[in-house]
This record gives sequence, C-alpha cells and structure tokens, in this order.
Amino acid sequence: MQDRVEQVVREFVARVKPEAGEVTVETPLYADGVGLDSLEAAELSAVLEDEFGTDPFQGDTMPETLNDIVSFYVTA
Amino acid sequence: MSETSTAEPRVVVITGGSRGLGAGIVQAYLDEGDVVATCARSSTPEVEKWQGDAAVADRFLFLPADVSSSADCAAFVNAVIERFGRIDVLINNAGVARDGVIGLTSDEDIDVVVDLNIKGSLYMARQVSRRMMVRRSGTIVNISSVVGRSGYRGLAVYSATKAALEGMTRALARELGTRGITVNAIAPGYLRTEMSHGLDEEQLQQIVRRTPAGRLGDPEDIARACQFLTDPRNTYLTGQVLVVDGGLTG
Repeated sequence: MQDRVEQVVREFVARVKPEAGEVTVETPLYADGVGLDSLEAAELSAVLEDEFGTDPFQGDTMPETLNDIVSFYVTA
Repeated sequence: MSETSTAEPRVVVITGGSRGLGAGIVQAYLDEGDVVATCARSSTPEVEKWQGDAAVADRFLFLPADVSSSADCAAFVNAVIERFGRIDVLINNAGVARDGVIGLTSDEDIDVVVDLNIKGSLYMARQVSRRMMVRRSGTIVNISSVVGRSGYRGLAVYSATKAALEGMTRALARELGTRGITVNAIAPGYLRTEMSHGLDEEQLQQIVRRTPAGRLGDPEDIARACQFLTDPRNTYLTGQVLVVDGGLTG
C-alpha cells in the first residue's frame, strides 16, 4: 500500500510540478517544498480519492508531506 | 447526435432531471446522442420512459438522490464516474421554491430552499469540478432565475438562492478557468413548469402581457441555451449569466 501511495503522489507531482525534482516522504507539499497551490492540492485529493476510495484532504488537518498521506492510508 | 458531429458522446450530469425543466434538459442531451446521468429524490414516468427506451437506455442513468445531502451528491457522482469514467458537463438544475411572504416563512422552508438550491449546487460543483480539474476540461451550468435579479413578491428565499448561484458562478469561473473549466449560469424567465405553480393564472397572464416574446418559456428554450453554453467550442465564454426570458427583463 505504501509503495502504491508514494507512486501515485510522485506521478502526480511529476505531471503538475515537473520542476519540483525529487520528492522524499518529508518534502513539504506546498511552499518551500513541492510548491503545490490550493487548486493542485484539490486535484491531488481527487486523484487519491479515485485511486484509493478515500481522501486524506477531507479530514480536520491537511497533509503536509507525502509521509502524512501515506500514514492516512496505512493507518486507516 | 447531430449528423455533422463526429465527437465522442459527452457525459452530462443533470441534477433534478426527473420532471419539468430538468426533464427537458435531459431529453435535449439524449437527443444529441450524449450520455446523461440524472438524479432526483424519486423516479417519475419520464425516467421510466428513458430507462425503457432501447435507443437511450444504455446511455442513461438515473439514481435516487437528495441533492441537499452532501453524502448523496458524493455517492451519485461516484456512481457516474464508476459507470461512465468521467464527467464532461454538469447542469446544476435541481431546485425548489416555497412561496409566501417573508414575515410568514418558517425556518424549515428557508432551510429546505437554501439547502437544495445553494448547498446542493455547491456540493455537486465540488464533487464534479475535482474530477474535471484532473482532466483539464469540463463545463458547468447553474440554473438561476430572473427572480434572482429582479425579485418577486413572495419569493424572497428562492430569489436569494438564485442570486447566490450567480455569485457562485462568477467565483467558480475565476477559480477553475486555468483548469480548462467554464462556468456559466442561465437565468430562465417564467416557464410553464411545476416550478411556476406558486404563481396563479392571473399572475402568469400578466407576465405574458409584459413579455416581448408574448408567451411563457418552455423547457426546450432553456435546454437550447444549455447546449450553447456547453458547446465544447465555447471555451472563451465563462463567468456569465445568460438571461432567457423572452425579453421580459431586457
């Protein structure tokens, strides 16, 4: 599961933010990191929901890193 | 589908398509050869007709849903995606009116109208636009009303919700434009549908006398406007409200 989540997120980042370079599990998803804006975050949430059936962005706190997204699915 | 079109059928979602204006819009897109998914709280003879028509049954989906429920909207959109793979067009048509002067309007009536007309449209726009963004294309049409602009005695709550839809339309057009999504609204005039039942015959005849076109509107008048706004070539037309009222407010 963890590998698949990381793959989906990295493929998404490579498509919408190719200039972001390598994304580690600790790289911030937004400013000073990958640089996703709010629309791109919404788009990522839709991609994840379609792929895995649930959406880590619909909780009380937004995921800040790839590690946060992985944790949402692994601990679910 | 028109004889000159070779494009792949679009997947069109129309809320509240079981009767009245919504049914007219459903019929228009089915006539164009598009795939149509619609929802309402319950089925109707119109829905059963489409489900039993071999010419359209395989490209028509009806699911019972209460659009004022966020969960129902999510389930409906997910079912459409699961069956047809994408959504190209969203027509936010579902709406309800409760007539009566504001001084006698109950909390329940306000909640029912606001929850369906505003919150339901927002729920659907949220669910669908997320998927459209990924595809970098799509078009949304919100069905407003001329009373959202001019007001009408006894329709304060309904008028407020329709004005809200126009603000939502302009905001979403700005928000989603960079993702290839257009968002427009249609403000129909007075139609001879169930939604005009709050008006008595004398009021309707007065409206006809004041309307340059000399008649009430038909669902087909609005359906044609929907098809114009959702024409895939109209990517430069967004954030607008098209008034289709026979010239009443012109």
